[in-house]
Amino acid sequence: MNNLAFATIAELKSYIKDRKLSPQELLEFFLRRMELVDPTIKSLLEIYAKDSIAIPSTHNGQLSAIPGITKANICVKDRTTSCGSKILEHFKSPYSATAIEHIVNEGGYIIGQANMDEFAMGSSTETSAFHVAKNPWDTTRVPGGSSGGSAAAVAAGLIPWALGSETGGSVRQPAAFCGVVGSKPTYGLVSRYGLVAYASSLDQIGVCTRTVYDNALVLSVIAGTDARDSSTLAREKEDYTKHLTGKLPDGLTIGIIDNAINAQGMDPVVVSALQEVIRTYEKLGAKIKHVTLPSLEYSAATYFILSRAEAASNLARFDGVRYGLRNKKSTTLAQMYAETRHDGFGEEVKSRIMVGNYVLSSGHAGEYYDNAQKARRLIRQDFVDMFKSVDILLMPTHPAPAFKIGAFAQDKLQMDLQDYFTCPINIAGIPAISLPCGLTPDKLPIGFQVVAPHCAESLMFQVAHAYEQATEWHTLHPAGF
Amino acid sequence: MSIISSNEVLKIAKVSQIAVHESEVASLTNHLDQILSYAKRVAEVQGNLYQGIIKNVNVWREDTVVPCNSEIILAQAPERADNFFVVPTILETV
Repeated sequence: MNNLAFATIAELKSYIKDRKLSPQELLEFFLRRMELVDPTIKSLLEIYAKDSIAIPSTHNGQLSAIPGITKANICVKDRTTSCGSKILEHFKSPYSATAIEHIVNEGGYIIGQANMDEFAMGSSTETSAFHVAKNPWDTTRVPGGSSGGSAAAVAAGLIPWALGSETGGSVRQPAAFCGVVGSKPTYGLVSRYGLVAYASSLDQIGVCTRTVYDNALVLSVIAGTDARDSSTLAREKEDYTKHLTGKLPDGLTIGIIDNAINAQGMDPVVVSALQEVIRTYEKLGAKIKHVTLPSLEYSAATYFILSRAEAASNLARFDGVRYGLRNKKSTTLAQMYAETRHDGFGEEVKSRIMVGNYVLSSGHAGEYYDNAQKARRLIRQDFVDMFKSVDILLMPTHPAPAFKIGAFAQDKLQMDLQDYFTCPINIAGIPAISLPCGLTPDKLPIGFQVVAPHCAESLMFQVAHAYEQATEWHTLHPAGF
Repeated sequence: MSIISSNEVLKIAKVSQIAVHESEVASLTNHLDQILSYAKRVAEVQGNLYQGIIKNVNVWREDTVVPCNSEIILAQAPERADNFFVVPTILETV
């Protein structure tokens, strides 16, 4: 058996099928590894006690006996779902998210909760109310965020797969920083039932794995229409691993978003890695076409406004009445609301709620929210236009490799601009996947993203897989793990 | 020029039901100002919207009653009495 820690889901399944390993042994291996290794990267908020974990008895499921972890904003029945926040520190989910139910029905199960930016608001996992997660490639640097715990745990070989969530890039950006594969499906492909809402018109559950095949496998499991989330798409379930042949479809045209690659502030190391990606695709037989995303320069601003506006109403429910933290010193209801939210939310969350209420207020909605709604439609339109002449798009996931912990403590705007290349995809509601394409001279991972038309996940995985099979980046792991 | 003053921040905080303590006002105002100044660029967005690319449809479902054990929900209440959530005084007595 290869090193179990970095084995793929497919390999682990074969070990179990061939009885080289029992499901119980596999569980014990990962629990031990988490206990031993996680203190150096703090990617987890909770490791479930062995006796409390039930391995599903399904033997022929897609994920049979393969453990995973979930970001702390996805509900697992009777487990803590803290969202990385003090306000929900002791909250126990009364039900499981639909995505978790699908996992269990296919024989998979959850053994821990991944660290995250509080309520998924951040790009570094530094806003977690509990502890800062670290990048396994360099523990003085961030793993990215907000699903930084999910990506760091997968990169460090603590677990073969992890669920994360995306609103503006929260799976793809940490995946790129940690040298793993992170996907954001089409809006509505995966049910949001049981995913704690940040900005409902953008939120989607995404997947973090070490290979494209594993990613396609987990997404195939969790996707599907759900009566409990009316925004899910009425589509038949698909097996996204079906077309992973290592080959590109015949006559594929790839669009390179030039104004992303040439954007101001792009690290030359990332640019040259992307140019190498383009050369690899040419060798694989793709036609390359250069395109422009005109709306790129106002995508981040659009995202700031829409996400904060929706957060302001979604987070109004945390008020100390029905669950979670309550400020006990308050003597009136109004004071209790205000002081509970003051004590329970971190700075970033409070400021996002306030920005949200500002851009929605009667005096300012015209200038901010209404314009952002118009911009949202123009951004979608830009992608529809680009996909008239190309089949798939390539762009950077991030302008520079993982930054030092605390680097943007005094410059919150620069932190927020980490979403610059990822958020247009969320706004357009289309799928994208980030995968590793290089290392900097300092041995920090670089990622790029493959962006596909609405519901074209199958093509997205095929194109990503062909690149992965032609390169070695996915086989590299951080030193010391 | 600043977009938002500290007085406006306090007003928005009140609407948001978030207490802001004296020592927090300056940095919060600065943070909000930075984000709002950047976000303002959406006003410059140019372009004509096509008609018909957005096809929203209503999704209906039956409003069926499903059994629910209220004890599960009430178990997490910070304060409760019988089948109720308890909150501090709503109206102050004059």
